[in-house]
Amino acid sequence: MSYKRIGALLAATMIVVSACGGSTATPAPTAAPTAAPTSSATGAPTAAPSATPAAGTPKDGGTLVAAIPGDISSTDTAFIQDSNSSAVSNQVIEGLVGTKPGTTGEIIPVLSTDWTISADGLTYTFNLRAGVKFHDGTDFNADAVCYNYDRWKNFTGALASGDYSYYYAAVFGGYGKDSNMVSCTAASASQVVIVLNHPYSSFLLSQTITSFGINSPAALKALDADNPDPTKSGYNTGSKGAMVGTGPFMFSEYVPNDHVTVVKFPGYWNKDGVAHLDKVTFKPYADQTATLNALQAGDIDFAFNLNPTDLGTIKADANLTAVDRGQSCNLFHLAMNQTHKPFDNAKIREAVGYAINKQALIDTFYGGQANVAVTWMPKEGLYAKDESLPTYDVAKAKALIAESGVPASELKFDFWYPSNVARPYMPDPKGIFQAISSDLEAVGFTPTAQTKPWRDGYLKEEATGKYPMWLIGWTCDWAGPDNFLDTAFFNYQGGKPSPEFAYKNDTLQATMKAAEAATTDAEAKTLWEKAQDLIRADMPTVPIVNSTPPAAGAAYVKGFVGSGNLTEILNTVWLDK
Amino acid sequence: MIKYIIRRVIGAVPVLFGLSIILFAFIHLLPGDPAATILGQHARPELVAQMRARLGLDLPLWQQYFNYLADLSRGDLGNSFINNRPVLTDFVVRFPGTVELTIAAMIFAVGLGIPLGRLAARRPQSLTDGAVTVVSLVGISIPIFVLGLTLQYLLAVQLKILPATGRLDGHIDIPAVTHFMLVDTLLAGNPGAFVDALRHLVLPAIALGSIPLAIITRITRASVLDVANEDYVRTARAKGLTERRVDGRHIMRNAWLPVTTVIGLQVGGLLAGAVITETVFAWNGVGKWVVESIEAHDYFVIQSSILMFAFIFLIVNLIVDIGYAFLNPRIRYS
Repeated sequence: MSYKRIGALLAATMIVVSACGGSTATPAPTAAPTAAPTSSATGAPTAAPSATPAAGTPKDGGTLVAAIPGDISSTDTAFIQDSNSSAVSNQVIEGLVGTKPGTTGEIIPVLSTDWTISADGLTYTFNLRAGVKFHDGTDFNADAVCYNYDRWKNFTGALASGDYSYYYAAVFGGYGKDSNMVSCTAASASQVVIVLNHPYSSFLLSQTITSFGINSPAALKALDADNPDPTKSGYNTGSKGAMVGTGPFMFSEYVPNDHVTVVKFPGYWNKDGVAHLDKVTFKPYADQTATLNALQAGDIDFAFNLNPTDLGTIKADANLTAVDRGQSCNLFHLAMNQTHKPFDNAKIREAVGYAINKQALIDTFYGGQANVAVTWMPKEGLYAKDESLPTYDVAKAKALIAESGVPASELKFDFWYPSNVARPYMPDPKGIFQAISSDLEAVGFTPTAQTKPWRDGYLKEEATGKYPMWLIGWTCDWAGPDNFLDTAFFNYQGGKPSPEFAYKNDTLQATMKAAEAATTDAEAKTLWEKAQDLIRADMPTVPIVNSTPPAAGAAYVKGFVGSGNLTEILNTVWLDK
Repeated sequence: MIKYIIRRVIGAVPVLFGLSIILFAFIHLLPGDPAATILGQHARPELVAQMRARLGLDLPLWQQYFNYLADLSRGDLGNSFINNRPVLTDFVVRFPGTVELTIAAMIFAVGLGIPLGRLAARRPQSLTDGAVTVVSLVGISIPIFVLGLTLQYLLAVQLKILPATGRLDGHIDIPAVTHFMLVDTLLAGNPGAFVDALRHLVLPAIALGSIPLAIITRITRASVLDVANEDYVRTARAKGLTERRVDGRHIMRNAWLPVTTVIGLQVGGLLAGAVITETVFAWNGVGKWVVESIEAHDYFVIQSSILMFAFIFLIVNLIVDIGYAFLNPRIRYS
């Protein structure tokens, strides 16, 4: 099984913070990482996990058997780091806020109804939804919320490590006194106040991921969730009584590597969002060909992940329906390291941008499920700015090479691609490599093919700056621009440029840090756009595409609402049979 | 006989011990770092170092090995690096799947291979013999994953007469008691589910059993031909015994020995083949687990699974050796 960070859990196109009309179905998507001190975001009670179902009158009942790419790793959401586990937990556990179904990051209230943020960006006051019960019958209230937040903050030992509560540390910077969360206070049964140490413009966005879902305190205690050895915690290992939340489905059974079952929660607080299905069984399918065969043979009803090149087969099969997830939450780019010639030359890097036929790559390798990248993050991303990136122009590429003054003899370099891997943003690394190589040769470059297994050397060597040019990408786990521009790509390490790209730009670093601490939307927008302009001027890498991983189901599966961040809740799904 | 069995079981200990050393060395020679794999892309070096320490990978190799042995002697197979669960917990769930599949594949290979071999031997160089030879060669030549995917495509996707993947229809609810699907469906008193579990076994069992089928067919044919030309067979016929009696009492009884040996050896091949078959058919067994663990450098899972495979192989071959004595009274172990 591939073990990977959730990736694609977050993406921000809009953050709802400023005041919204209480009568609308969803809060107005006024983008703002923080808001004016008196503003509040008021979500309508029915806003959260319901979405627009497909045409037709939904029928209640039935079991959906859905394939996920691998086994789940935990049933304690605080420890979940992989998309397989979150595919299940998304059905069961809810947080204070979530992303609007069908979008990659439009924030909506879920267990909160609205919130206010202080002017200094440090105090978040959430009003909680009334009358909500956990699946075990206990009350959801402010004490339950703070029990969860305090639990995460006070993790110690193995629990306070990257292999368990990775996302708490990633969001809050550490545990205990090192945590950016000063306190969580139950101001009343229906109001929670969370105070931060320093402003963090992606705070709300970060709270939409499953790791910050609110679990039943009674269930956590009953199954010894805080056992110093998490392997002995039934709450973590999927015992009966684990994963107790407030979502439209209840956790039912987990048989390692065989299946996870969730069943309908009739007492779901959102009466418009009560599940149509009686049960969903998630089954791990590691092999994509086997997944497609299983779908075609009727062994499974739905597949969360398929090879983009199988889309043609799916669309040609009247018994199947392909799912368009819409917005993307990843970026695939052609990376260059500036300590290697000829990529120390800005004109050469620009020439590479003009040499690549990006649309041809999309048509050939992505089954059309991608768009040409316009900046160093998804184009729908919060503060994404169309940077007028180079378009396919062989003559322009050749002209830039001539202008660079780099002789033909120095246009030779090693070009690396990974083996033993397929990523949502890079479904066929070798094929993509061959196409790009061909484009580069057409304008006068002489790339030499080099390869290494993804896990057995490739990632380590590209990160340490060994490769002059290579294929790489990023699937968002942090949906804001900080997750792409800073965390994933151009961050400094120890005050120096990351050896990965060897891209030095002190102004960019200062701009990104200022943007992350911005307390107003306008300020954050200005700074993140400036950061993208700075990157564009240097063209350290060539953004290629943003893709949306394909999913598919039997034709009788209706009402699925796909999201590019893979936060997909199955309460709207029904079976037309 | 009892002494012989005890001696063989004790003799297996140094074999497994030696294997554990070789396995340990090979696994640690694999390129790549489990800590970096777990932490994923953009893992910072200090986090990788912390993770290595937590997993005990910062210790000298010999110390890691002896820690592993010490844990093993207490029945602790370690924790998976991937899901942090005890390896034994997942093994108990997955092992029955592999056993069920292996037995089904062996029944297919033996049940079809021996009659085919006898059929071919009855009329050597005939059309029947030629056809059986072709089937055998095809069985040996086609890689399991090609055969598996082809069977899936033809019989499940196109004709839809058998399920393509898994061990049981996901719409059927069966409490997991023994994790042997055939047993659990019976325990649940659900004959429909039992039939469904049987149907799920067919394609993977054929794919996995194809190579042993070919080998058993060839060995049976050769062995029967060999024995059929012996003087005592001619004598038996000269005495006027019926062909059925000659075949049953004189030919097959003696032809069984090499066939039995080969069947025992094929268990090893089946366990190795299960690695591929389980992946192709999304079969929840130890083989699929090994593949996933190798990709993720999940050392404890790889070591424990392969050691367990080796142990089973030794046990099966011990049973085969003991079986010799029953098949041939002239053989006595002391």
